[in-house]
Amino acid sequence: MQVLILDIVTTAAILFAVSCGLLISFGVLKIINFAHGAFLTIGGYSALVVTQMGWDPLLAYPFSLLVGLVLGAAVERFIVKPLYDRPLDAILATWGLGIVISQVITIVFGRGVQFVQSPVTGAVELFDGSYSVYRLAATGGAVIIGGLLALLMHRTRLGLNARAVIMNENLAQALGINSSSVRLIAFGLGAGLASLAGAIITPLSSVDPNMGVPWLVNAFMLVLVAGSSLLALLIGSVVLGGLQLVISTYGSPILGGLTIAVAAALLLRIRPKGFVLD
Amino acid sequence: MSRSRPEASLRGRLAAIPSRRAFLGAAMVLASAVSLPAQAQETIKIGVPVGLSGANSVVAPSVVQSAELAVEEINAAGGVLGKKLELVVADDGSGAAGAQKAFDQLVFRDKVNVLISMETSAARNAGLPIVSRGKVPFIYTSFYEGRSCNKYLYVDAWVPDQQVAPIVDHFMDKNSAKTFFLVGSDYAFGRGMLEFSRKYIESRGGKILGEEYAPMDATDWTPIISKIRSANPDALITSTAGGAPNVTLTKQLRAAGIDKLYGNLAVDEGTAKSMGADATGIYISASYLTSIDSAENKTFLAAMGKKFGSGLKTPNDLSVPQYEAVYLYKAAVEKVGGTDAEKIIDVLDDVSFKGPRGVIQMSKQRHAPLTMYLGQVKPDGSVEVIASFADVDPGDQCPNLK
Repeated sequence: MQVLILDIVTTAAILFAVSCGLLISFGVLKIINFAHGAFLTIGGYSALVVTQMGWDPLLAYPFSLLVGLVLGAAVERFIVKPLYDRPLDAILATWGLGIVISQVITIVFGRGVQFVQSPVTGAVELFDGSYSVYRLAATGGAVIIGGLLALLMHRTRLGLNARAVIMNENLAQALGINSSSVRLIAFGLGAGLASLAGAIITPLSSVDPNMGVPWLVNAFMLVLVAGSSLLALLIGSVVLGGLQLVISTYGSPILGGLTIAVAAALLLRIRPKGFVLD
Repeated sequence: MSRSRPEASLRGRLAAIPSRRAFLGAAMVLASAVSLPAQAQETIKIGVPVGLSGANSVVAPSVVQSAELAVEEINAAGGVLGKKLELVVADDGSGAAGAQKAFDQLVFRDKVNVLISMETSAARNAGLPIVSRGKVPFIYTSFYEGRSCNKYLYVDAWVPDQQVAPIVDHFMDKNSAKTFFLVGSDYAFGRGMLEFSRKYIESRGGKILGEEYAPMDATDWTPIISKIRSANPDALITSTAGGAPNVTLTKQLRAAGIDKLYGNLAVDEGTAKSMGADATGIYISASYLTSIDSAENKTFLAAMGKKFGSGLKTPNDLSVPQYEAVYLYKAAVEKVGGTDAEKIIDVLDDVSFKGPRGVIQMSKQRHAPLTMYLGQVKPDGSVEVIASFADVDPGDQCPNLK
C-alpha cells in the first residue's frame, strides 16, 4: 500500500512536470502546442549532448531548459506569431513543426536508442522494500518546478501580466500590457519547461527521436481538463495519474495506458470545466 | 461547451498520425525504387520488404547490408546459373498497411523471383496472402513467435521452442530457480514468446508468479515493477518490443534495485552494448552472436567490415539469417536449374548452406534446426557465450506441410 501511494505520487509528479509547459503556452496563447512532444525530445537530446560532452549530469537540467527557451522563443517569433489570427493554422503549424524536429533529430543523431548518464542511480530502502532514487529525485524536481511556476504567476509583474492576458487579452492590451511579449515569454517558457521535463524523464526512459510522442497525448488530455490553472493541473495529475496506476496495477497495464485519455474525455462530458475549481 | 469544437478538431489531428507514417513510407518506397533501375530479364530479382521506417528502422539497415554483401559475393563469383542477382528493397513501414503495399509492389509490379526478408510478425501476416496470390517463394529471416505456415513460406531463424529452453534450463539447473515472473509487450511476438515460456516452465515443474503485458509504446513500467517486487520471483523473463520498451524496462528495473536472474528474450547484442552498466548480467539466447568462433563467421565479419567500413551496422541475429537465406535460395535455384516457384518450394528444404551460424537447412516443417547460444552481458557490454546447444529442433511448427 505504501508502495502504491509512492508510485502514485511519483507518477503524478512526473505527469505534472511533463504537462506544465503545455499548460503555460496554452493558457496564454489559447493554442495547443503540438510540438510539445518534440520539445520533450529536444530536452532528452540536450541531456544526451551533456553526457556526450562529458559534462556533469546535473548540467543537463539548466542546459535543456536554456535550449528549450531559446528554440521556443524562436518558434514563437517566426512560426506562431505570423499565425495569431488563424489559431487553427497555428496549431497545424506546431504539429508540422513537431514532425520537422523529430526528422532533424533523426538526421543528426540517428534513429537508434541512446543513453543518458543519470545524476543519481540505484534504489533506497523505504518502507518494506526498495524504491528508485531517481523517481524520488524527479518528484522533488517537479515540486520545485511547480513551486517556482506558482511564484512566477502569482508573485511577479510578469505573472500578473500573463494572468491578465489569459483572462482577457483585448482588455489587457487596452491597459497597456504588451501582450505580444507576454506571448513570446509564455511560449518560450512552455517550450523550455517541456525540454526540462524531457531531460528529467531520460534516466527513466530511452532517448530516441519519438520519445516525446507517448507523453504528448497524456499531457494534452491533462491540459484539457486543467484549462489554464496550475492547481487544476496538479489535481488532474494526481487523480488521473493515480487512476491510471491503480488500473494498471489491479487491472492490466494495457487498460492503464488508455485511462488518462478515456477518463479525461468522460470528465469533460460530465463537467466541461474539468478540474478547474472556480 | 465552448471547448468541444477545437477539441474535436485536435483529436482529428491526432488521428492523422498513421497517415503521416504511411506517407513517409510511400516516399521511401519511391526513393528506393528509383535508386534501383529496372534491368533486363537476365537478372534474378530478390525482393526485400523490410521496415526501413517504424519499429524495425533500427535493425533494418543491418539486414539490407547483409543482403547486399551476399548478392555482391555471389555476383562476383559469376552469379547464379550465369545470371546476376538483383536486390529490390521496399519499405514495409514495420506494419501491416505498409507491408501490403510493399508486397504488392514487389510481387506484381517488380515481379521478383523470390522474397527474402526480416519483418515484424504483423508485416509478415499481412504479406502472406499476397505471396499466395503471386505464387512467389518467401524466405522469412526474422526470429518470430512460431507456427506461421504457408505453402510458399520458409523460415531460417529461430522460434520460441529453440530460444526459450536454453535460458530456462540454465536458470533452473544451474541457478536452481523455481519461481518466474514474465513481462512482455502486448503484441503477437511478446505474447507468443511468453506463452511458450509459461508452458515450458510449468512442464519443467517451475512456478509462474505473474505474467504482465504493457502496451507496445509503454514508457512507464512502474506498476509492473511494483508487482515484481511484491511477488519476489527467483528469475525474470521478458519479451518486449525491441528498442525503446526494452531499454526503459531494463533501466527502470535496475533503478528500482531489482537484481534477479534476468533473461531477456528480445534484446540484441547491439542494444545490450549501448545500454551500458544497466544491461550487465542479462542472459540472452540467440542463434547468432558476433563472438561465434568459426572460420565462416570470421570471414563474414571481415567481408562486412571491408564492404561497409565505418558505415557498418553490427551484424546480428536478424541480419545474419538474411545473408544465409540468399545463399540458400542460390543453392535451390542451382538444384532446380531455374527459378520456377513450385520447384524451388520443393527443394528449399533439401539444400543447405554453411554460414556464420553453422550449417543451415530448413528441413523441419519449413523451419531450421539451429545451434543456439546462451550468452551473458559483461560489464563492458560484450556478450560472453556461456553455453551452446547444437542443432536445437524447432519442434512441430507446420505439421501439415512437409
